[in-house]
Amino acid sequence: MENVLSILFCLSLFYVAVTWRVKAYVTVLRFQGLILAVLLMIPFIYHFSIFGIILPFTLLLVKVFLIPRYINKIILDLDVKRRIEPTIQQMFFLLLVIVSMIIIFLVSNIISQKTPLDVIPFASGFSAIIVGIYIIMFRKKLIIHVCGFLILENGIFLFSSAVASEFPMMIEIGILLDVFVVVFLMGIALNKISSTFEGFEVTHLGRLKD
Amino acid sequence: MDIKILQGIISLIIILILAPLFAGLVNKQKAILTGRVGAPILQPYYELIKLIKKETINASSSSFISRVSPIINLTSLIIAAAILPVGFWKPLISFNGDIILFAYILGLARFFQILAAMDIGSSFEGMGASREATFALFAEPIFFFTIGSISFLSGYTSIYDIYHSIQLTNISYEVFIVICSISVFMLAVTECSRMPIDDPNTHLELTMIHEVMILDNSGIDLFLYQYSSYIKLFIYAILEISFFYPFSQQSYILGIIIFITGSLALSFTLGVVETITSRYKMKNIPQYLLFATAIGILNLLIYTFTK
Amino acid sequence: MFGLFIFILLPLFSAVICYFIKNLKIQYGISLLVAILHLSLSLFVFLGIYHIQLPTFFSIDSLSKFFLLILSNVYFWTVLVSNSYLKRPVIPKAEGGKKYYYMLLNFYLTSNSAAMLSDHFGMYWVAAEATTLSVAPLIYFYRNEEALEAMWKYLFLVSIGIAFAFIGILFLTLSAKGTTLEGKQLFFWEFIRNAKQLNPIWIKASFIFIFVGLSTKIGIAPMHSGDIDATSNAPSPIAALMSGSLRLTALIGVMRIFQIIRQTSSYEFARTLLVIGGLLSLFAAFVYMFKVNNFKRMLAYSSVEHLGLILLSVGIGGLAFVGAMYHTVYNSITKIVLFLMAGNIHRHYKSREIDKVNSALNIIPKTSWLFLIAYLAISGIPPFGIFFSEIKIFEGILFSDKPYVLGFVMFFLLFIFVNMGKAIFTMLYKNGDNQINHSAERFEITHLNAIILLILLIIISVVSPDILYVNIINITKDFGLNL
Repeated sequence: MENVLSILFCLSLFYVAVTWRVKAYVTVLRFQGLILAVLLMIPFIYHFSIFGIILPFTLLLVKVFLIPRYINKIILDLDVKRRIEPTIQQMFFLLLVIVSMIIIFLVSNIISQKTPLDVIPFASGFSAIIVGIYIIMFRKKLIIHVCGFLILENGIFLFSSAVASEFPMMIEIGILLDVFVVVFLMGIALNKISSTFEGFEVTHLGRLKD
Repeated sequence: MDIKILQGIISLIIILILAPLFAGLVNKQKAILTGRVGAPILQPYYELIKLIKKETINASSSSFISRVSPIINLTSLIIAAAILPVGFWKPLISFNGDIILFAYILGLARFFQILAAMDIGSSFEGMGASREATFALFAEPIFFFTIGSISFLSGYTSIYDIYHSIQLTNISYEVFIVICSISVFMLAVTECSRMPIDDPNTHLELTMIHEVMILDNSGIDLFLYQYSSYIKLFIYAILEISFFYPFSQQSYILGIIIFITGSLALSFTLGVVETITSRYKMKNIPQYLLFATAIGILNLLIYTFTK
Repeated sequence: MFGLFIFILLPLFSAVICYFIKNLKIQYGISLLVAILHLSLSLFVFLGIYHIQLPTFFSIDSLSKFFLLILSNVYFWTVLVSNSYLKRPVIPKAEGGKKYYYMLLNFYLTSNSAAMLSDHFGMYWVAAEATTLSVAPLIYFYRNEEALEAMWKYLFLVSIGIAFAFIGILFLTLSAKGTTLEGKQLFFWEFIRNAKQLNPIWIKASFIFIFVGLSTKIGIAPMHSGDIDATSNAPSPIAALMSGSLRLTALIGVMRIFQIIRQTSSYEFARTLLVIGGLLSLFAAFVYMFKVNNFKRMLAYSSVEHLGLILLSVGIGGLAFVGAMYHTVYNSITKIVLFLMAGNIHRHYKSREIDKVNSALNIIPKTSWLFLIAYLAISGIPPFGIFFSEIKIFEGILFSDKPYVLGFVMFFLLFIFVNMGKAIFTMLYKNGDNQINHSAERFEITHLNAIILLILLIIISVVSPDILYVNIINITKDFGLNL
């Protein structure tokens, strides 16, 4: 079941690489949040426990409702132009993503012969991290940078579920809260940036160079 | 005669007869969705019969290619149709590795069509030919990655064997098949020049891709081209429907029901997609095709590494 | 529980209280009280007078005692100065930001103490992220465009860096698979004790990711840009706080993973990485100093230089490690003085550029003298502390297995000294057109702070109290370096 969810996760990454719309990023974030919540709920289908259901529920709440709604509000408030202007040609971006994904899958397959780990969620998580970095590097709008950062965090989450580390629940909730507050602060910063500068593209932030 | 050869010939005849009906179904769906009554379902047959009676004119600057190409087109497509399994019967041509034959017979047909388009000597057709060649370049990997990944999974290399080994057992296999069928749908849309790649109803010079290549043909040539395009659409439709066949159970009634419902569903989907989407910008089409390839590659990666 | 309460929960409560109370003076009083309590308790714990028990996820050992004391010290002096600092005029948009100042400061204290005291990598990560969140709005205090850009860059780059550090922590758990550590939930001491069983590939990968990720927060090249921008555009008490203590919070993370990796076969790899990182930072500071035109940025690069030196010496080990520990203390104290004085100069001349600052020695003599003395202190002139720690570091590098590093270090330090001196002497002595009407300078609390701190610095370095020495030797024993 984890494999299926990881495939859907990777498909959403391809979609992010191809799309021209800004709202599509928010939809992808919702979709990925949903996948992660379902992934966390799988062990609880068989033995249901109230204690264990808190984490997937909070995850669902934060990643599917709160954060995307907040980003949508920012997009609406700042009247962000709805179309992405990339810095490299769109097709090369998809090609780059495909090549990186192939390399990651091959490498994780090689690694999995030494260390026991689930290959598919591991490789999917890592490719999400890489795609998040590419989005930050190759896109101009700042709100897209924030979405790229969130995709990176989603990838880390998927990755951690593959590694099967037993983080105590407090820490997981702490992580979620941290991400939420980071996004909140970034939103406030973006608000201020839009009212001081004309646009919110990275090219405008060049005052502090040496 | 051997029962298998008879079965093969019957499946081939079924494909050849039913092909224009499928195209008519799609057109009717499109008409209903846009609020018109539309042409009757059997309209393609009437058009083909009309075309046979007309006179064939070839451009004065064309060579023997223009006369030869329509026939080669139809012949290659009949051969391709003969490789395709309809239902549970073994097709007429079936041997190990016939995927490659299938892909490249269709490629041969397209090659001659492009040559004939350039042969006419008008820049109109040349433009269509170059566009068609580019998109075909991007569409080829989709076929190989998608069908190839299933063949990799099952270990067979003949289309008949591949489809027969599809057993919808566990859920990950089902998801895999669904994703493959999406990929093949995108391929079908490309190869048969449907929206959102190419509008079959437009005749504006800036936007035609496939239509422009057959613009200067008439009579028997046009009949052969139209008929081959209907057969091509039906071939891809069968490729798509066969993903969902219950090959594990050899029940004819179930097979026929699935065939009919599958064709109806597929024509409905095609109609909906054609009505809703608008044509993509030309420079975005390679990316759209690359997306379908990416899905195929992803499938391949995931399923090689869970084996 | 008492320890946990004073160190972590009390600042959190006072942050909440400061949010509700509107009067700045009362907020100042509360924060100052909390700071004094924090400082005294950490002093007692350090001197061994008082032993505290901490619940799970937290523990105290010699390294955390030491860094916690530095944190309390820096925080106390910053809060002391804050009242007079907040009275200074700022643009009207920034007036609204003043009421969040103390709340964020208290929250900063909570998160940093939690990070220093944490025993568990996960808790450390959450606390480190929280420190970024508490500092970022403080950087935006002046509410102008440069401050906004600095805050955005800092928040974004450091968050990405910390996300990378998280990947490194995940790799650490991966390295523990199949050994007895599996399922032991990332407590430091478990890992350190059983480090030999860890998978070497994953430990290496983990170290790289944690080091690169946290280096955005420490301010080491090549990831120093966010930190530099933030430190040079923040108000001076905040810049002092960041230079003095925030970098140490990130440094403690790197040192913990270094402690773990010391026992495995990848030790040399980690050492080489640290040395390279240190040398790169020195190089970056060296290059910048040639074209310095903003004195706060110059001080930020000086932080990069000194943290690079500390990291280098930790990597070299031996006597250099001891020198590095002393260096952390002396660096924090001197940086507070430097930044406070720089803040005064900024207020008088209303600009951060060196060209605009002329003949400071005549116009604002008290600030300038203290600034000059602090510059001499940070460059390593005796009797100020950095001289002693740098002597130890140089001796340590010379007698280690990488003596050629010393040549580079001295070369870079020399030119940094020369260029910084050139800039500062230009500011202090050059006669410009005296068009700005300066009021006579009053003796403020910043000057009192600076004088006390400089005297403290001299006392610590010259007297070199035994307890400090014993503590540092304990740290080196923890790190397994035999002298």
